Amino acid sequence: MLSLDFLDDVRRMNKRQLYYQVLNFGMIVSSALMIWKGLMVITGSESPIVVVLSGSMEPAFHRGDLLFLTNRVEDPIRVGEIVVFRIEGREIPIVHRVLKIHEKQNGHIKFLTKGDNNAVDDRGLYKQGQHWLEKKDVVGRARGLFISDIIRRTDQWRTGLICSLYWNCDNPHE
Amino acid sequence: MAAAASQGGRSGGGGGGSGVGGGPSCGTSSSRTGLLDKWKIDDKPVKIDKWDGSAVKNSLDDSAKKVLLEKYKYVENFGLIDGRLTICTISCFFAIVALIWDYMHPFPESKPVLALCVISYFVMMGILTIYTSYKEKSIFLVAHRKDPTGMDPDDIWQLSSSLKRFDDKYTLKLTFISGRTKQQREAEFTKSIAKFFDHSGTLVMDAYEPEISRLHDSLATERKIK
Repeated sequence: MLSLDFLDDVRRMNKRQLYYQVLNFGMIVSSALMIWKGLMVITGSESPIVVVLSGSMEPAFHRGDLLFLTNRVEDPIRVGEIVVFRIEGREIPIVHRVLKIHEKQNGHIKFLTKGDNNAVDDRGLYKQGQHWLEKKDVVGRARGLFISDIIRRTDQWRTGLICSLYWNCDNPHE
Repeated sequence: MAAAASQGGRSGGGGGGSGVGGGPSCGTSSSRTGLLDKWKIDDKPVKIDKWDGSAVKNSLDDSAKKVLLEKYKYVENFGLIDGRLTICTISCFFAIVALIWDYMHPFPESKPVLALCVISYFVMMGILTIYTSYKEKSIFLVAHRKDPTGMDPDDIWQLSSSLKRFDDKYTLKLTFISGRTKQQREAEFTKSIAKFFDHSGTLVMDAYEPEISRLHDSLATERKIK
């Protein structure tokens, strides 16, 4: 047990050096944590960056794309905007488009959402008895997009273009 | 003082320390220090990966520290290192406070506390960068020589080193600050690390130690001539 050579570096350290190594690791973790919390404070959203998990918003968003959100109080929610919301009792936020809005005089809003690629609106996803979403369910509005697999997507597009050109040369329209 | 005792005890072997411990407790304390001794390997020759720049620099720094502290019996001053450790600890403390507060009071209510913690954290990071660049520079050892007469303030010896990335030239600088006159004198040498390590990556103290002693004596003798 005592002849483990790879532990030699650790054994040669005194208490301060060991503590500094622990602190170093703690600071790396803390930096990541502080950047995330800082983003939370700046954007006002509890999850400032989300990943698109399903294909329900194609062709706008594909699986794996990153969305940057803000959730400022003064931003109005309008039909046609993309919102990320959380349904009560479910952990995972959903990214869909706003379809209909009911707005009261005092600014209170009820809205209905639907995924671009879905056939029906989201009423089936909402809680039992819930027909509309409210501002408090909103995690944020999509402000920016980061496409993660741009190489694969342009490659598919480029392959499709070349195939269609080739097919046209082989079978020219007379 | 306690730090010096622990340093001396560590290299001299636990036997001396436990001998003074007293009769009834002698058995238990010697077994404990015996286990600690087996863990600490100060006397084993230092063997590192010779292609790893930071390991090479660290081993050369540590050996230079050993020479100064053991051969010349100086006392290490941990002030600089403690300063850096305190700043880092305070930063991590802010991060932990932010984490726990946000967990106890979910997001929208915790915004002011979070904002405060985040800003404090980055301010501490800035302070740490300034501290390491300007106050600590590349000093890795501050040692005091206690004046034997006990009247004059201590002389201070500082060691700092540099080894550029992918380079083999190691520069070691020894600074002497006289306690009485507050004058500062420096001496340094730049040598290839190949002179101190053998082909398997073991540090050859017989080649390294004379260099350190030469640096030290060149500064010490100047003083005597004055």
